[in-house]
Amino acid sequence: MTATNAAAYVEVQGLVKWFGADRAVDDVSFNVSKGNFVTLLGPSGCGKTTTLMSIAGLHSIDAGQIRVGGMIYTAPKNGIFMPPEKRDIGMVFQSYAIWPHMTVAQNVAYPLEIRGMPQPEIDSRVADVLRLVGLAEMAAKLATQLSGGQQQRAALARAIVSRPRLLLFDEPLSNLDLKLREQMRVELKRIQNEVGITSIYVTHDQAEALVMSDEIIVMSKGRIQQRGTPHEIYARPVNAYVSNFIGVANLLKGRIVAVNGGGRGKIEIAQNGKQLQFPCLIAAGIRAGDEAVLSVRPENVQARRDNGDGRCLEGEVLQAIFLGNCVDCRVRWGDFEWKVLTHPRGRLSKGDKVYLHLDPEHTLAVQP
Amino acid sequence: MSAMVTLDRLSKNFGAERAVRDVSLSVAQGEFVTLLGPSGCGKTTTLRCIAGLEHPDAGEIRIGRDVVAAPEQGIYLAPEHRNIGMVFQSYAVWPHMTVFDNVAYGLRVRRVRGADIKTRTRRALELVGLEHLAGRYATKLSGGQRQRVALARAIVYEPRVILFDEPLSNLDAKLREQMRVELVRLQQEVGITSVYVTHDQTEALVMSDRVVVMDKGVIQQIGDPHDIYARPRNAFVANFIGATNLLEGVLRGRNGDICDVEIALGESHAPVRIKALGGNVVAGDQRMIVSVRPEDLSIHLQAPDGDGGNVFEGEVIDTVYLGNFLECNVRVGTQEIGVQLDHYMQLRPQQKVFVAFEPDRGLCLTE
Amino acid sequence: MSTQTLTNETLQAPAASRWRSLVTQESVATVVVSLIVAAAVILPLLVLIVSSFRVLDPGGFDTTWGLDNYRTLYTDRVIPKAFVNTLIVCAGSTLIATFFGVALAWVNARTNCPGRGRMEPFNLVPFFLSPFVGAIAWHNLAGGKVGLINSWGRDFLGMQGNLINVDNLYGVIWVTGLFFAPLVYLFVIGSLRRMDPSLEDSARTTGAGLVRTAMTVTLPLVAPGILSGAIIVFVTTAGEFGVPFKLSAPYGWQTLTTQIFSKAVGDDANIYLGAAMSMALGVITVLLIWIQQRYIAPRSFTTVTGKGFRPNVIDLGGWKWVAFAFNLGFILVAVVLPILCLFIVSLHPVWQSRIILHDLTLHNYVRTLFFWAPDHIAAATNGIYNSFILAFAGATIAMILSLVVSYMIHRTKGFGARLLDFLCVVPVGFPGIVIAMGVLVTYIKTPIYATLWILLLGYITRFFPYGQRNVSSVMLAISEELDQSSRMAGASWFTTLRRITIPLLKPGIFAGWVLLFIIFLRELSISIILYSSGTETLSVGVYYLTNYENDTLTAALSVTQTVMLLACVYIFRRIAGREALTV
Repeated sequence: MTATNAAAYVEVQGLVKWFGADRAVDDVSFNVSKGNFVTLLGPSGCGKTTTLMSIAGLHSIDAGQIRVGGMIYTAPKNGIFMPPEKRDIGMVFQSYAIWPHMTVAQNVAYPLEIRGMPQPEIDSRVADVLRLVGLAEMAAKLATQLSGGQQQRAALARAIVSRPRLLLFDEPLSNLDLKLREQMRVELKRIQNEVGITSIYVTHDQAEALVMSDEIIVMSKGRIQQRGTPHEIYARPVNAYVSNFIGVANLLKGRIVAVNGGGRGKIEIAQNGKQLQFPCLIAAGIRAGDEAVLSVRPENVQARRDNGDGRCLEGEVLQAIFLGNCVDCRVRWGDFEWKVLTHPRGRLSKGDKVYLHLDPEHTLAVQP
Repeated sequence: MSAMVTLDRLSKNFGAERAVRDVSLSVAQGEFVTLLGPSGCGKTTTLRCIAGLEHPDAGEIRIGRDVVAAPEQGIYLAPEHRNIGMVFQSYAVWPHMTVFDNVAYGLRVRRVRGADIKTRTRRALELVGLEHLAGRYATKLSGGQRQRVALARAIVYEPRVILFDEPLSNLDAKLREQMRVELVRLQQEVGITSVYVTHDQTEALVMSDRVVVMDKGVIQQIGDPHDIYARPRNAFVANFIGATNLLEGVLRGRNGDICDVEIALGESHAPVRIKALGGNVVAGDQRMIVSVRPEDLSIHLQAPDGDGGNVFEGEVIDTVYLGNFLECNVRVGTQEIGVQLDHYMQLRPQQKVFVAFEPDRGLCLTE
Repeated sequence: MSTQTLTNETLQAPAASRWRSLVTQESVATVVVSLIVAAAVILPLLVLIVSSFRVLDPGGFDTTWGLDNYRTLYTDRVIPKAFVNTLIVCAGSTLIATFFGVALAWVNARTNCPGRGRMEPFNLVPFFLSPFVGAIAWHNLAGGKVGLINSWGRDFLGMQGNLINVDNLYGVIWVTGLFFAPLVYLFVIGSLRRMDPSLEDSARTTGAGLVRTAMTVTLPLVAPGILSGAIIVFVTTAGEFGVPFKLSAPYGWQTLTTQIFSKAVGDDANIYLGAAMSMALGVITVLLIWIQQRYIAPRSFTTVTGKGFRPNVIDLGGWKWVAFAFNLGFILVAVVLPILCLFIVSLHPVWQSRIILHDLTLHNYVRTLFFWAPDHIAAATNGIYNSFILAFAGATIAMILSLVVSYMIHRTKGFGARLLDFLCVVPVGFPGIVIAMGVLVTYIKTPIYATLWILLLGYITRFFPYGQRNVSSVMLAISEELDQSSRMAGASWFTTLRRITIPLLKPGIFAGWVLLFIIFLRELSISIILYSSGTETLSVGVYYLTNYENDTLTAALSVTQTVMLLACVYIFRRIAGREALTV
């Protein structure tokens, strides 16, 4: 199932990278269409940064091929390794990597100087880009005089000023504090939209991935777990790993008892000495009789005071943590603890008896 | 309930800067109180005064019945004589000792008998779930484990109060959430009086019996988490605790608890009259602010019918997908309003929408 | 499948690009520098080992292979005693240096001792001066017969004999201890100053008092630094030549260094026996440095977090004046008194252990400084000239090497990097005199012998790791991503080095250069082995004067050297700020 299609701009095929005896990237293949914003998402050590560094040419790979715009960047089989400076890639690093001995304008002008552009053109391009990232007033400041957020804007300006073929981001926001991070997410995405450069973004922060990406590639242990739009990844995870890594999920082991048309079916859960069947959506590749995991997001579990249609799960509130805009409840149901997110108006409190209702449209059966 | 920690008009200056001004507070036995505020608000200085690591300039600090600091009377008790426990932001776990030695330190200093040291240290380590790491050196531990060691070290000698100085802020997001819950569970189990300092409002809401919101060295509000969130006393508190929309307006009338407010929305947009809870505003024609939380606003594609409730007409700027909900920013005149939607609603930028809220969800505040 | 054609095109040149991917600017530079460093460090040590097994026949013309040299080490009348004396001196001065170093660091970093900021630079002054000159000064100040203090004791107090006498092993211990105290100081001060205060605060809140906190938390945390400093002092003392040569050797207490010197240089020189003795000395020092690198350095606790901390300062109350007196006293005995005494001596035509005001003259300075003066002493004037040339060229070449070596150690990972890292530690393990013996036996039959080149080679081999450490520490502090982002911006490896890496490393390079410049300007134990007539250095000039001329001429050149060193330190500090000039 090698992915090759005509629209692919970045093609990574069968990428393998060993670190000693450790297979950091294990046969990873994906493409990115021109102008798209794709995020590699996973916990630390999942191989996402190694993949990015391989595309950048900052380290070699052991097998596979990397191609951008039809040009082969790396192909160890054929002895091809294009040095990073020839690849025409803009990159933004976690530590910003703004050169402290230069002013902001000098930092941004650097890629253009290297390319031998005439000075007047450099000046106008630098001014344009600094305006775009909102640093026009800071041009003459030394990089060390900037705040973290400003340094990251300068790094972005430096990466896009030469209008490279590809932009790479290596966890660029993870050194910023929470409020600033949330603000920069939106802004970074806006600037990328405006310049329209194909981008690959690496992060371990699922909220960041959901907010910014056209497409997300979830990785774990050097392999791709799932790829799709943020909504697909969140609403239709293919396995328990993805469903737990992206957001929070209630996960219950079970077995598929029926598969109907249209990706629907029934899953049977053994709980509290009883066999219970739930109608649910069924992820691709799961057949009747398979082991599967029932996955429901906390916000998709409704906690009611009454047993409406008589099919609700009866439980007791163990803990109700007030989070301001919502209440994070733990509900005991036999030996299982449900995570339920309710509106503060629900006024649930510890010890309350509640009835949990699962909506079949938001109840999933996924691979274990 | 008797007060375990009492601050009476506590003040502390650093040079010309007044870090803490006239702070008075009483923490009951077994209570978990959080000092919350932005950096530089004086919360850490207050905590360090309680610990004895700073000398206050004025006021009085009592722990139990003992006056531990009263500069006007020349009273100052060194930290080691206050019988308190403290957990620091940088963990401050001693790298040259094993986990066991770190935890046992407080007992050894107190000349507890050898056998007792062993059992009590074991018990404390069990409580934080680290009994299997007792022989390990602190440098070989993860951040979360170090913080547990620091916690065990602070509770092992059963101090009267335990002080927390942003203990979770060096941990990553997932671990932080997990440790919050664990810390509260532990505190309830041990039943120890706790004063906790943080700048993270979620942490404060989740963990505390009472929250003390501070800014510029002054207490802004004291109350339980629900109180602070639902009935902030001023715009600072409303904005600092959770996200909120602050709409500037003028008070036009008051009928019991409900105020009639005129919100100005710039020159191109007619002002809108809305109703909201009175809060702490009083006089007519007073300039004030209405605070409405994003989760209390709803979006409608048609003008909601009814008796002219609180409705703004605007257009969608953008929507941000956050997984468990959608955040939508709507431009209404010069004002930008954030709305939290629980459903997967399809909205396009520039789309015309109506934003509405119930009068009892808006709160009139002075600045 | 439209990409298929493109694939074929790019496959045209695999063979060529395979070669090109090997021969890069980076790999060529790496190989060349590795070879240079390996040759400079390994070759002399290998030859030294080999030579120690060559036995000179009684006629002194031919050699055979054998263990006789090593047998001589313990059958000889003097050498075993010299060995014991060396250990005594090392242990004693390590104790003194550690005491002063730790105490001064603690007073300056952690107490409210008055004037501690002003006194700190003066506490460090002995680090920049020549211990040999210190020994000469103390000899004039408190030597057995000639000492000023002793003659005052006799004149004014009517005492018989001596008040104190430094012309013995204790004197060696005292002077070496004083001069190496700043070494310990520099190892300790960083961790004392930047220690996370909550480590101590938490001991206080846990219930420990001030003293208990200091003993159970502060001191153990600084212990690896203290131990490292102590080992460095021990090793440096073992290789110190000037002080025992001046203070103890003339009175019958030989040390290994003075013995190596008398065996390697002189009329009945036996460089093979010298090589064997160097091996004996080298084994001790290498062992200690190995222990330090392997077990102590990795244990130094990373108590330093990213934030700028205000360390806890202890209010000493009335005791702060005691601390002040202690600090001032150190400056007095280690800096002020010796220099002042030398200056007084240098103004006399002949030194008779008392100040004779109407005899004062500057003629000694004329004879040592001005090569055009009719009665100038060539060894002194040559020395000044040669030392400046060696210091300038040596520091510059060593820093270029350091730069490339550091880059390779920290930026290219692999076997070559680890080998280089090891090679940079090796010279630190050997005293200068041992390295000098290695260089001597290696190059004695080549044209560079008896030129400045052999001195340059000895200097760089022994001391370039110091410069390398300065560059490395800065390089570790700056993120690799700063380099990488330049490559991503389209710059080649060399352009990146020139426009990004070197400018960022400038402070480290400058500090390293200055440190080496000063070390070279005062170097004695390598020069004394490798110099010959015409290639004397400043310290060799001092040695020559003290051996063949009189006390007052010696004092004049000593003062000259001291003033030059202090002037350099002062100027460089003005240019580079306070951060410069630390190990």
